[in-house]
Amino acid sequence: MKSRPNPMPRLMKLVAVLAMLAAPLAAVPSENDAASLKTVDQDVQALKKQLIDLNRDLFKLEEELLYPASTQVAVFLSVDVGTFFALDSVTLKVDDKEVANYLYTDREVQALHRGGVQKLYLGNLKAGSHEIVAFFTGKGPHERDYRRGTTLKVDKAIGAKYVELRISDREASLQPEFVVRQWE
Amino acid sequence: MLAAVPALAAPPALDSLAPDFALKGIDGRNLRLSEFRGEPVVLHFWASWCGPCRESIAALDALGARTGTPVLGVNLDGNNERAAAVAGSLHIQSPTLVDARQSVARSYDVAKLPLTLLLDADGNVRAAWAGVPANLNELTPQLERLRQD
Repeated sequence: MKSRPNPMPRLMKLVAVLAMLAAPLAAVPSENDAASLKTVDQDVQALKKQLIDLNRDLFKLEEELLYPASTQVAVFLSVDVGTFFALDSVTLKVDDKEVANYLYTDREVQALHRGGVQKLYLGNLKAGSHEIVAFFTGKGPHERDYRRGTTLKVDKAIGAKYVELRISDREASLQPEFVVRQWE
Repeated sequence: MLAAVPALAAPPALDSLAPDFALKGIDGRNLRLSEFRGEPVVLHFWASWCGPCRESIAALDALGARTGTPVLGVNLDGNNERAAAVAGSLHIQSPTLVDARQSVARSYDVAKLPLTLLLDADGNVRAAWAGVPANLNELTPQLERLRQD
């Protein structure tokens, strides 16, 4: 695992900056000229940036602890064109166990159509052979209810495994196509 | 099905974040609670066999129509047709969502019906009424305050 800077010193610094900011505000309420206000504003902005950085570091740290690279499996979903299929939901099974069941709102479908990629699942798998099955539910051509499953056998080695589920159009048959790709 | 909920279960505490969920409505559209962030929301859990629930959803629906507040009804019958029939008979205009797998009811620890939650623009629970219809004399001014914030 990559070594990551310890967020605690940053947290302590943050508390110190907060204390410094609070003290003059409480003590000298009358000295609120433009220059000091500007300084306070700059300090607040710097503080906000530090908070965001700290939050990001903590999030990454948490993810590395919960999903170490040696066992990590992530499944992403994307839509390429998708005019022959209106996505309603996706159910994901890993080794016959349901791990995700996602219902898409209109706004989420629009985001996917605009090129968004959704992290559908993040979990851990031991090294070895596994089966990932995805069931796509929605409306197919001519507004018909459409449900299609796609299966992928993955050989999990040491190192993170990324799987992409892509919904695209098969122009020749005017049918949707569900593509599964693996990324190392 | 609600009997499976532990006896001491309680809805989300006041000022805590209401768990997010996505459910299918009786009109076939999927709705996600977090997509209503930015405005107060009234969340109402009900079932067709619960008399006070029917009384409550009609009143909340009218409140939503009058104030422009989203009122999301979550039906726990587990049956889309029954939920649609009851909502239709009461002329409910606000979205009626069907919690067919009772997964949302579990995440909200719904032990008593009706359950009505008033959420602020950030999705935090600001008021709750469990086992009784929401008191509109309390709810309306709270909702007004949240709308003005």
